Amino acid sequence: MKKHLLLPVVGLIVLVVSVIFYFNQSTNINNSRDEVSSLIFVTPDFYNNKLINENTLGEFYIVNFFASWCKPCLLEHPLLMEMKKKGVKIIGINFRDDEENFKEWINEHGNPFEYILKDDGTIAYEMGLIGVPETFFIVNKIIQKKIQGPLFYEDVESYL
Amino acid sequence: MSKAIYKIIISLLFVHISAVSFANVNELSDYYKTVRCLVCEGQSIQESDTEFAINLKEQIQKKYNSGISIEEINQELIKIYGEEISFNPPKYHILLWGTPLIVLLIIFIFIRNKIRFFNRV
Amino acid sequence: MFYINLLKKVIPSTTSSLRLIYFINLIPFGLLVYAFSISDFTLLNVVENSYINDPIFYKVTSAWGSHEGSILLWVFLINLFGVLFLYKNQTVEIHKNILFISTLFILYVIVSSNPFTYVEANENVLGLGLNPILQHFLFVIHPPTLFLGYIGLIIPFVISAHMLVNKNFSEKLFKEMLIWSKFSWFFLTGGIVLGSYWAYSELGWGGWWFWDPVENISLIPWLLNTALIHSLQVSIKSNQLKLWSLNLGLYCFIASVFGTFLVRSNLIVSVHSFATDPLRGLFLIIIIAYLLVMTVRLNIKSISNFNEDSFNLVSRESFLLLNNIFFICSALVVFIGTVYPLFSEMILKTSVSVGAPYYNFAFNLLLAPLILFMAFAPQINWEKHEKKDKQIPFIIIFSLFICLVSYYFLNNFYFALSVFITIPLFLKSILVLKNNFKKNISFYSQWLAHLSIGFFIIAAVYTEQFDYEENLLFEKESTNEVKLQNNKTAIIKNIKDEKFQNFQRISVDLLIYDGHKERELSPSKNIYQPSGQVTNEVSTTNKLFSQYYATISTIESNKVGINLVYKPFINLLWLSAIMLVFSIFLSVVKKR
Repeated sequence: MKKHLLLPVVGLIVLVVSVIFYFNQSTNINNSRDEVSSLIFVTPDFYNNKLINENTLGEFYIVNFFASWCKPCLLEHPLLMEMKKKGVKIIGINFRDDEENFKEWINEHGNPFEYILKDDGTIAYEMGLIGVPETFFIVNKIIQKKIQGPLFYEDVESYL
Repeated sequence: MSKAIYKIIISLLFVHISAVSFANVNELSDYYKTVRCLVCEGQSIQESDTEFAINLKEQIQKKYNSGISIEEINQELIKIYGEEISFNPPKYHILLWGTPLIVLLIIFIFIRNKIRFFNRV
Repeated sequence: MFYINLLKKVIPSTTSSLRLIYFINLIPFGLLVYAFSISDFTLLNVVENSYINDPIFYKVTSAWGSHEGSILLWVFLINLFGVLFLYKNQTVEIHKNILFISTLFILYVIVSSNPFTYVEANENVLGLGLNPILQHFLFVIHPPTLFLGYIGLIIPFVISAHMLVNKNFSEKLFKEMLIWSKFSWFFLTGGIVLGSYWAYSELGWGGWWFWDPVENISLIPWLLNTALIHSLQVSIKSNQLKLWSLNLGLYCFIASVFGTFLVRSNLIVSVHSFATDPLRGLFLIIIIAYLLVMTVRLNIKSISNFNEDSFNLVSRESFLLLNNIFFICSALVVFIGTVYPLFSEMILKTSVSVGAPYYNFAFNLLLAPLILFMAFAPQINWEKHEKKDKQIPFIIIFSLFICLVSYYFLNNFYFALSVFITIPLFLKSILVLKNNFKKNISFYSQWLAHLSIGFFIIAAVYTEQFDYEENLLFEKESTNEVKLQNNKTAIIKNIKDEKFQNFQRISVDLLIYDGHKERELSPSKNIYQPSGQVTNEVSTTNKLFSQYYATISTIESNKVGINLVYKPFINLLWLSAIMLVFSIFLSVVKKR
């Protein structure tokens, strides 16, 4: 009888151990990123080639991803211009774009951005970008809100 | 006779369970298949041609070439985009990952009980 | 019109009145199809789903392109099967159940998804058009086929319910149940294969199975139905597992209604889903809850008698029972995988995606032993097996050897595993054929079904593990030739822009030269009117069992991107699927 039980018991132990080991391979990770990618502060500005000084930005600023090939970006563009007038500091990040097209786009529609960085996708990746346009509201160096798709007045109302 | 069959079955099953559990993704293109394209409902980035998927593939490729392992890339991706990004949910979802194992265990117990029953008879 | 139906149902039924009710219930769907065929734009549903310039074939098939239409098709089929079943069996109680379920769905149509909503007729309305992804011959026959399969399960459902309630286990009813579950299995398998082939050839993602929720929920009834077919054999041949089969029969239909519920209520996001409407979801929940409560009640009633089955360990019965447990467990696993994201979002507050890695893991665990058993089980005798099979150790060792050899050369775990589990099946199939050369059709049907499963697994694993993909980038004027792996070259011949009745097509003629033979491919992009939606048209070229699979990834004024995938053995996969469908066809035909 005991011999009969031996194999199942050993089997069960092996199973339990392997299951525990298997489940312990990856540990619990918190999955929200609330800090701005440091890459923003080491990438030089597209026009004047200077680095952004985090201290001069103040406690509230906006990071906006855009591209010249992105049609919804034009929807939020007037709003961004208006926000610039009201003194909101916006960092524009040009996502995977042709340099000529991008310059033309800025000339044609106007520049609402305090700084413009050119991105090959690395900053976007680090910030967890899903698509353009996407806007991050940063208060005290922490991402407070993230809007995917074009911005509307309701989204920014409370910050103005 | 039946005991012998039972033992063979059990040992085969154990080899099988451990083999399947520890088979890992090694190639990048296989890994792409497990990364969900968040803007295209149900597609993986391997299949998708959206800007999101292309960028993600490039970034992963870059990381991989600089010597970061797929496991680490995956951890980072989950950190940035949330668990939704991976078609391969983390293993602490015990209800999910445990079900096949438990189900197999039940089959097992079933076979064992049958054998006992007939041995007694 | 619907209200008349409802009134009729109160009247005590005889065979002829039953037939009348069935026929009346068939009418609404007929009307809808007619409205679509003449583009009657006074119906909102026609306006939304059809376009005046569509070919007539697509006009008719738009009838079930929408949610309302597909539910009406569902009602139509329930009643169609009711009529067919009426010729075989006139038991009024069974038909009352069918009509009751049909009434539930008719109510659902009336309350939450009435396709006969009128709008003001307007000369200028041309219709919004059928979703262009759905404008494909395969897609046109795919949903009705799948629906035939789903609803075919209603007959086993009502028969089981009838037998469990009346405790009348007649062999005749079991046989009818088997025929209908085979019938439904034929269409389910056919529907799943068609859907998968449609996804492969039309979506242009380069895969044939995505573990998409919709695919999963069609797989659950399929798995349960497979189990049912096997257990019914036991019930008929050796008078055992009767209650088991009947209870299983109940769950098959519930699984298919549940599947429809999940898709239609949009609880789970998928490629196939329609617009969300909470009322629909609620109503379907009520239907399912009702059916489920009834089923569980019947289960509880019969559970005390469950232990009366007894048979030998090494007998056909016990192996078929084992097969059942494997299939039911697989269905359970698919179910968990499909609803887990929902559960996680509601309870754990994190959204997860469950995809191929999970199902691969689970199916590797479950199917591998099942298929290994499948090689030997069909040769075991009913009731008691005395003879020892001397071939078993030899076959196992041989396949282990082949498995190790294949692992050594190809260095792929999954393929080696699939070799290990299928070689016994192939060997056994050949050996058995020698001994049973002149056996009847049912032997061949079973033999073919099992063999094609073996081929399917080998082909599927091989395709998945050894396909490779290349992204070719051509620049106009400068590069129209690109070097591929293994000394192949791809050349662009020309780019065409054509106009058709309801779409515009931009196609690229591509030439692949692999040393001694040239292959032509012409992937294209279609731009549909009036929606302006763009679809990718796949182009393939065959090389025995393998395939080159090309789609246009980007097309701009100065460059063209082509996505070229090499799919080894993909045609073997489709061939085995056709064999599988054919095998069940054989056994259904034999019965007639």
